[in-house]
Amino acid sequence: MADPAKSLSVEIYSDRIVTVLVMFSIFWAVLGMFAGVYVAAQLIWPELNFDNPWISFGRLRTFHTNVVIFGFAVSALMGTAYYSVQRTCHVRLFAPNLAWFTCWAWQIAILLGGLSLLGGLNTSKEYAELEWPFDIAITVVWVCFAIVFFGTIAKRRIKEIYISNWFYGGLIIVIAMLHIVNSMELPVTLTKSYSLYAGAQDAIVQWWYGHNAVGFLLTGGFLGMMYYFLPKQAERPIWSYRLSIVAFWAFAYSYIWAGPHHLHFNAIPEWVQNLGVIMSLILLAPSWASMVNGIMTVSTAWEKLRTDPALKFIVLALAFYGLATFEGPMMAIKSVNVISHFTDWTVGHVHSGALGWNALITFGTFYFLVPRLVGAKLYSVRLANIHFWMALAGTILYIVAMWGAGVSQGVLWLALDQIGELRYSFTDIMAAMNPYYLLRFIAGLIFLLGAMLMAFNFSMTIIGRRTIAVRPPMLTESMA
Amino acid sequence: MNGLELHHRLENNIGLLIFGILFVTSIGGLVQILPSLFQESLKTPGVNTHVYKPLELAGRDVYIREGCNTCHSQQIRPLVAEVERYGSFSRAGEFVYDRPFLWGSKRTGPDLHRIGGKYSDDWHRIHLMNPRDVVPNSIMPSYPWLAERDANHNQDIVPKLRGLQKLGHPYTQEDINNAPAELEGKTEMDALIAYLQVLGTAYPEGDLSWLIFYSQEICL
Amino acid sequence: MDKAFSFFLVLRLLFQPTTVFKVLSDLQPSSVVVFLKIALWFGILPPLFAYIGASNYGWRLGNVEPLFLPNQTLVVISIAYFIALLLGFISTSIVSRWMASTYGARHALGVHFAMISIVGAPLALGSVIHLYPDVFINILVLVPAILWSMYLLYRGLPIVLHTTPERGMLMASSLIGYFLVALVSLLGITVALWSYGIGPSLGV
Repeated sequence: MADPAKSLSVEIYSDRIVTVLVMFSIFWAVLGMFAGVYVAAQLIWPELNFDNPWISFGRLRTFHTNVVIFGFAVSALMGTAYYSVQRTCHVRLFAPNLAWFTCWAWQIAILLGGLSLLGGLNTSKEYAELEWPFDIAITVVWVCFAIVFFGTIAKRRIKEIYISNWFYGGLIIVIAMLHIVNSMELPVTLTKSYSLYAGAQDAIVQWWYGHNAVGFLLTGGFLGMMYYFLPKQAERPIWSYRLSIVAFWAFAYSYIWAGPHHLHFNAIPEWVQNLGVIMSLILLAPSWASMVNGIMTVSTAWEKLRTDPALKFIVLALAFYGLATFEGPMMAIKSVNVISHFTDWTVGHVHSGALGWNALITFGTFYFLVPRLVGAKLYSVRLANIHFWMALAGTILYIVAMWGAGVSQGVLWLALDQIGELRYSFTDIMAAMNPYYLLRFIAGLIFLLGAMLMAFNFSMTIIGRRTIAVRPPMLTESMA
Repeated sequence: MNGLELHHRLENNIGLLIFGILFVTSIGGLVQILPSLFQESLKTPGVNTHVYKPLELAGRDVYIREGCNTCHSQQIRPLVAEVERYGSFSRAGEFVYDRPFLWGSKRTGPDLHRIGGKYSDDWHRIHLMNPRDVVPNSIMPSYPWLAERDANHNQDIVPKLRGLQKLGHPYTQEDINNAPAELEGKTEMDALIAYLQVLGTAYPEGDLSWLIFYSQEICL
Repeated sequence: MDKAFSFFLVLRLLFQPTTVFKVLSDLQPSSVVVFLKIALWFGILPPLFAYIGASNYGWRLGNVEPLFLPNQTLVVISIAYFIALLLGFISTSIVSRWMASTYGARHALGVHFAMISIVGAPLALGSVIHLYPDVFINILVLVPAILWSMYLLYRGLPIVLHTTPERGMLMASSLIGYFLVALVSLLGITVALWSYGIGPSLGV
């Protein structure tokens, strides 16, 4: 580099794209959670289906999961990945126009994809329900995402690639692999395709995908977020560098094996199930290693901390992360799974991760990020604190209600009387779930209202402001 | 320390890092997932397992479209209570013509794998029009629009069957040629009911006594 | 004003939590005294209520016919519940003390025993609902009790354990993580025991 100072003087970080992605993420969060609350209500009052195919439960539930995972979570991951990769590499995004393409193409894909699900185009493979044209579109956007992300790393001015980028990189690579393998299908018309795999084999491939989409997107991707934003807020390096290395590779290696625990006692080979149990239990160690690393990073940096609402969310998110990553392996044990499988306990477990971990850490990150992006103070810290308690209350109530429902279902379905006959009819058990579903609906509503409070808070913070220009730090001799 | 040195190389070289991640995450898939794709027992049809007739196939695709699998599993586990409630447990061979599989992950409603033949067509018709007419407590949505739509209204039964034929399902050219005629005059409701009535009928109900041993063994 | 850590002081939590925290922040209670005078009695309440409730009304897992278990099984389950609660109390206190050095909090075990007793008080009192062991009603009462406990933890911990609000928040969140894991372990162990045939008769 002949004159680094000159080339730096014109370079600013591409942050407007981050602002846009954050706003879309919040939009999808509110929309997706509203759909979630609505389907929860449909399970109490079936009249809410209004005999209308577009909002009938089977379609709207799929819409809910897709919008929160691919709209809310992926937009948040994309935005924070773009934000942090520039700052950990001290360069502007590689190919900013391509980055803008990933941003808008993704939003359009989610919008049209969501509508297509409501319209009944559905492959039925969980979390991969979008039909083949969308599968191709997703692949294209994802490859562009990879080019921007890895391109930025390739032109970095810092020698080492920072930990958060390993996790974001893992997310990009593994999700690409999972998506391509699992979505192998033969299109028969423009809107219909058949899977290349059939029956039990399709089930094994699908849960290899389904479990690891949770693993590398909702766990690994968000750990990337944690590994950047937590040390950033604590203004401290990560507590243990070695632990983060071990945790990353052990996590990447062991997660991929655990999928078959979704198919316990199903018609797949026994050794595949048992291997799934063992690897699920092993998985606990690397999962918790990252949690310990995060907690210890803030814990040793206390003198830097202010009473920042953002940090509260992130730290509480780690507590729920601890719960969800413990509960998962526990539910993979066959003697627990025999009762929990097919029940609402599974739904509760997913939400302890989705609400308690993913949503809370995203909210915390956004409370940190949004004021900095526009160079202003948060509109109201008080609203943020109210949001904190609403999020906590909503999550706890949701989890406990589903524990109640799930354990009751599991026991009542299997309960036998003295002469070995079934004690309860299925419909009686189903009707008995009504009060739990009501509690869950209230829990979801509280959580949704909290998210709307946050959306309002951010709108007031952002309104009338522009994303401020930030320049990468000047090169010093040691970095060059 | 050697491991740390190796890692320093990885984190200084993005190409190596990408390769490392791909390598480490592929092992599980290669060892655990890939063999099952070649395992014959997962691909061999059960004794009475047949391909879906065109009307049943159209019904199955309605089942998929409406997301029935979000609330109904099609997988009976080899547990005493489950076999008592639903019937003989599910075997891999029964699903070889299922693309995609519809085992489900949640039972908000009952399992449907052995629903075939348990209720009359008329019962299903009433139930799908308004479930609460036959099951007062039901929280299932009504599906009245199925009765109004032609089973082949997208004119797609021929390309569908051809696609499945390419994937190895034993449909003859005659089956495919006759398919549109078989759907003639049928509604999506008829198709869905035809599918429900054939579900799980491939395996004959048999002696269950050996089940007890099996279930004791697997409760790990 | 009562200056010792007593049952009465804990009950005042219901009305004046901040005062109680302040009083406690000047006290150095002995762990044995706290355990024998407070924790043991709090720990005995839930299993006792659960036993009475289950033997009179049966377990109601929803709107279906209740499940009655033989008296002997109920006694075993209640004792196991009691032991689990005490283990939970002691382990949480020890974890809390272990964390104390990281967060610059007070170190004496008695203080942590007292803190966890305070936090557990809403749950122990809320467990009176076990007298009618309908799972739904229990959730309805115990979830607010859990939230109240968490509120007491976030509010009280920095005052009682002499640490800054920021570090207190971190420590409280860590303890919540521990608590959630302990809770779900209890659930998992219970369910696993059922599938092994201890408890209701299941066709597995």
